[in-house]
Amino acid sequence: MKPENPILTTLSVAAGLLFLSPVLYSVWMSFQTADAFYTGKLVFTLDNYGRAVGEFNFARYLVNSLIVSGLVTVLGITVATLAAFAFARFTFRGGDLMFGATVATLMIPSHISLIPNYLTLAKAGLLDTYAGLILPAISNGFAAFFLRQYIRGIPKALDEAAYMDGATPLTVLWRIIVPLSRPAIASMALYIFITEWNNYIWPLVAVGKQDLYTLQIGLARLYKINPGEGLVDWPLVMAASTITILPVLIGFLLVERHLVRGITMGAVK
Amino acid sequence: MSGIVLRNIRKTYPGGPTVLHDVSMEFHPGEFIVIVGPSGCGKSTLLRLIAGLERADAGEIEIAGKRANDLAPQDRDIAMIFQNYALYPHMSVRENIAFGLELRGMPRAERNRRAEEVAHMLQLDAYLERKPAALSGGQRQRVAMGRAMARNTSTFLMDEPLSNLDNALRVAMRTEIKELHRQLGATIVYVTHDQTEALSLADRVAVMKDGHLQQFDRPEAIYDRPQNRFVASFLGVPPINFIAADRLPGWQGMQGLTAGLRPDILTVHTERPARPALEARIVLSEMTGSDLLLHCDSPAGRLTVTTPRRERMLAADPLWISYDLDRTLFFDNDSGERVDLERNVHSIFNTEE
Repeated sequence: MKPENPILTTLSVAAGLLFLSPVLYSVWMSFQTADAFYTGKLVFTLDNYGRAVGEFNFARYLVNSLIVSGLVTVLGITVATLAAFAFARFTFRGGDLMFGATVATLMIPSHISLIPNYLTLAKAGLLDTYAGLILPAISNGFAAFFLRQYIRGIPKALDEAAYMDGATPLTVLWRIIVPLSRPAIASMALYIFITEWNNYIWPLVAVGKQDLYTLQIGLARLYKINPGEGLVDWPLVMAASTITILPVLIGFLLVERHLVRGITMGAVK
Repeated sequence: MSGIVLRNIRKTYPGGPTVLHDVSMEFHPGEFIVIVGPSGCGKSTLLRLIAGLERADAGEIEIAGKRANDLAPQDRDIAMIFQNYALYPHMSVRENIAFGLELRGMPRAERNRRAEEVAHMLQLDAYLERKPAALSGGQRQRVAMGRAMARNTSTFLMDEPLSNLDNALRVAMRTEIKELHRQLGATIVYVTHDQTEALSLADRVAVMKDGHLQQFDRPEAIYDRPQNRFVASFLGVPPINFIAADRLPGWQGMQGLTAGLRPDILTVHTERPARPALEARIVLSEMTGSDLLLHCDSPAGRLTVTTPRRERMLAADPLWISYDLDRTLFFDNDSGERVDLERNVHSIFNTEE
């Protein structure tokens, strides 16, 4: 490693602080009381978290978000991996067409499918259920495409060796392809999780019952119901925001190493 | 023990050329078969068809007396060693060797014992817990063999297993494979483009070109009695000399034939011998150790001769090259097939002398 350049180090720290400042500011604000905040005094309190979790139901929203994003991630990555394996390794009638169609879905803005999805789920009686929140999100064209490209980079001779060893296609997938695709799968899982965690429009459309609100909906409602007697209770909103971003932040830090490797993996073989 | 029968196998890749044209062969149990040919001759495809990794468009594959065309690879009781070894990079040597046993439901303790046994046979004991990335080329090759051996199958398919090794290691591993074949008594079908491997390993050699089987016989027969010009030229180092038959002393007027003279049936004389001989001049000499390889120009064309090292030979100018008539091969110019002229040759030769 080269010796550290003090100018570069200073600039990096400054840039880091700049990017982090809104987050740091909101976290700092979340520990203030509303009165003190507006009058310019500083009083440390955990009340905002207590109120967000208790009075404003954020514990429930957090659980909902974890259930929805968690299941979307698990189911989505399973479907995407199966599809990617089929696209990468098998020639079948209509296979190219199906792959083309999968890639084409990347070009369709998600809002276009909003109404068809809503009508389908309404007909199936799945509005206002977890299934209604989860099902439309588990088919992910980008993840299928990304994983297919990754799997194509794994020598096919490994599959063939496993078949000779007595494996079935699913054994090959589970014992050979999945372990070797771990960085790519981890990246995609995190990507799907974050996308779903931050999803606002679909939960807004698909769910009316407060019990099924996710954090994003809860946050928006919190802002709207304006609990601060004429003023927005910003410290409360910031406490809720902190609750919202914290799980993603932790997840990102856990998988970050894989994520970077996964994204650059396709570039240089 | 299982024999393998191939009957009129045809294979065309979608949108590509036909890679196998009506190939028929029979491998007996316990035989060491080498399929040899230049790249693109269909030899690897043939192996993959036997393995079940590809399907034949026409023809029958029979393994152990049963039609195997529709059997999945895992149901054929065949092990395969791949050219690039195809070791599972995320598994240790032990896991690589035992994977096939695990898939067949062997209990852990038993498969561990078997893996250790195989590793010991291949001198891999010290590397059992290593991943393939931490092994040398030769060790990886051995693991690939171990993986195939662990399952105790009656047939092994080997797709150019030595082509990624350096020369010294290749020679050493060749001996080991031959030794293993003797120990295991299994049928081995071995694909290579290296004719030295073919001749030194095989009980029988199948020579292929452009998807056609050219000849299938014992190595001695392939070398001494090649079916056609291609087989004669493909096997043998240094390569066989071809000259028009009517340019050979004693053969004037013999139209439409090419004579094939292997470098080792030619004898160099510094004086004109009593037997028919060609006058020649040395263009280039190569020292190969005990022998000399002489490239000579003669009225009949360029000839390569192997001869024991004798310095005075290099100074001779001109020198004379005679040939062993019994081992001279003749090929029809149009068809390229070998023509058996033995009787005629002798009568002509005797009258000449």
